[in-house]
Amino acid sequence: MATSNYQRLTRARINQHFAVITATRVSLWLGSDHLLHVENNGFTEIYKRFYFRDIQAFTVLESRRRGIWNAILLVPVAICLVGVMACAFPVRNAAAMFVWALFAALFLVPFAINTIRGPTCNCQLRTAVQTEDLGSLSRVRQTHKVLEKIRPLIAAAQGQLTAEEVAARMQEAAAGINPGRQPEPPAEPPIAS
Amino acid sequence: MSPLIACPKCRAWLLDGVFNRLDMAPCPSCGAPLQIEAFPALFRKINPGQSAEPVMVEGESSCFYHPQKKAVVPCAGCGRFLCALCDCEFGNEHFCPACLEAGKSKGKIKALDTERTRYDTIALGLAVIPMLLFYFTIITAPMTLFVAIRYWKAPRSLVQHSSARFLLAIILALLQIAGWGAFFIYLATRHS
Repeated sequence: MATSNYQRLTRARINQHFAVITATRVSLWLGSDHLLHVENNGFTEIYKRFYFRDIQAFTVLESRRRGIWNAILLVPVAICLVGVMACAFPVRNAAAMFVWALFAALFLVPFAINTIRGPTCNCQLRTAVQTEDLGSLSRVRQTHKVLEKIRPLIAAAQGQLTAEEVAARMQEAAAGINPGRQPEPPAEPPIAS
Repeated sequence: MSPLIACPKCRAWLLDGVFNRLDMAPCPSCGAPLQIEAFPALFRKINPGQSAEPVMVEGESSCFYHPQKKAVVPCAGCGRFLCALCDCEFGNEHFCPACLEAGKSKGKIKALDTERTRYDTIALGLAVIPMLLFYFTIITAPMTLFVAIRYWKAPRSLVQHSSARFLLAIILALLQIAGWGAFFIYLATRHS
C-alpha cells in the first residue's frame, strides 16, 4: 500500500457546525518543509501549503465555545434530572427513572468529553500575504501540542526569536509607522470568540 | 505588510507581553487569553523582483521569451533559456511561466496541486447511499463499477493514498449486481 508523505497533525473537524449541507472538514498535516491545510467537502479536497520559511506567526485566542456548548448540553441534562426526580417521588417508577437517566446520559457524555478536552481556541496562521484561520486547531491543548511539534521545524528554516527580541522589534515597527503614538488598528473584522 | 500584530478580539496592536510564551497571557488591552508565536519571517524585508539585464555581448545566450535580455538559467521543464524576469524559482528548480502553468493544470508538479477530486469517495457514495432506496442500485451499481475502474489510476488524495474505498465500492457494486441478477433469475424461473 502506498504511504502518504504527510503526517497527520489534527483530525478532520467540521468547519461550520450549522451548515450541514455545505459543511467542510478541515485538517492539518505536516510535510517535509510545509504545513498542509486540507479542506474536504466530501468529494474534493482543497489544499493550502504554508512553507516553514514563510510562516510569520501563529495567533491563538482562547474562545468561549466550550462554555457555550456546556451550557447548551446542561439544559437537557437538567430537564432529564427533573424527570428522574418526578419519577422517584411520590411513587417510585424504576422503568421511567431508567429512561430519564438514559436520556440524561446521552447529553452528559458529550458534556464530559467537551469538558475533558479542555478550553477551546481560535488559531490563525499569518504569512506575508495572508492570514488563514486554522479551523482544525480548536482546542488550546491540541494547539500547544502542534506548536511544540512544528516550532523546531520553523526555527530550523528561519531561526528563532526570543520574547524580548520580538517585543523590541514590535516597538521599533510601531515607532516607525507612527512615531510617538499607537498606530491605527487594521480594518479586518475581529474573529468570533 | 506591517509586522505589527493586532489582538484578534479587540484589534489593539500588541507590542509586548504575549509573544513567544509557552502559555496563554492576557491581552494588555482587553484581557482576552492570547498566545502569539512570532518567527523571524515577520520582520523580514520583502526583496523586490529582479529585473532582466540586456544582452551586452554578441553571441551571449538570450531569453527565449525576451531575445534582447540575457539568459540566466534554463527551464527545468522545457530547457528553454530564461532571463531573470521569466525565471520562476519553485522549490529548488527553475521553470518558465508556461511550464509552471502546464505543471499546475496537468498536475505534473505535485507541490502546485491545490485541489483533487476524491473519486474513491464518489464511488463509495454511489455504492452506499442508494442502498437506502435499494431499487436505485440497479442503475448506480454499474455506475459505481465504471467510476472505480475508470478513475482507479487517477491521482489520489495527497494525504490518504489507500485503495480501500475503491475496493469496498467495487465489492458492494458486485454484490448489488449479483443480487439483481439473482432476483431476475428468480422472476424468470417463477414464470416459466
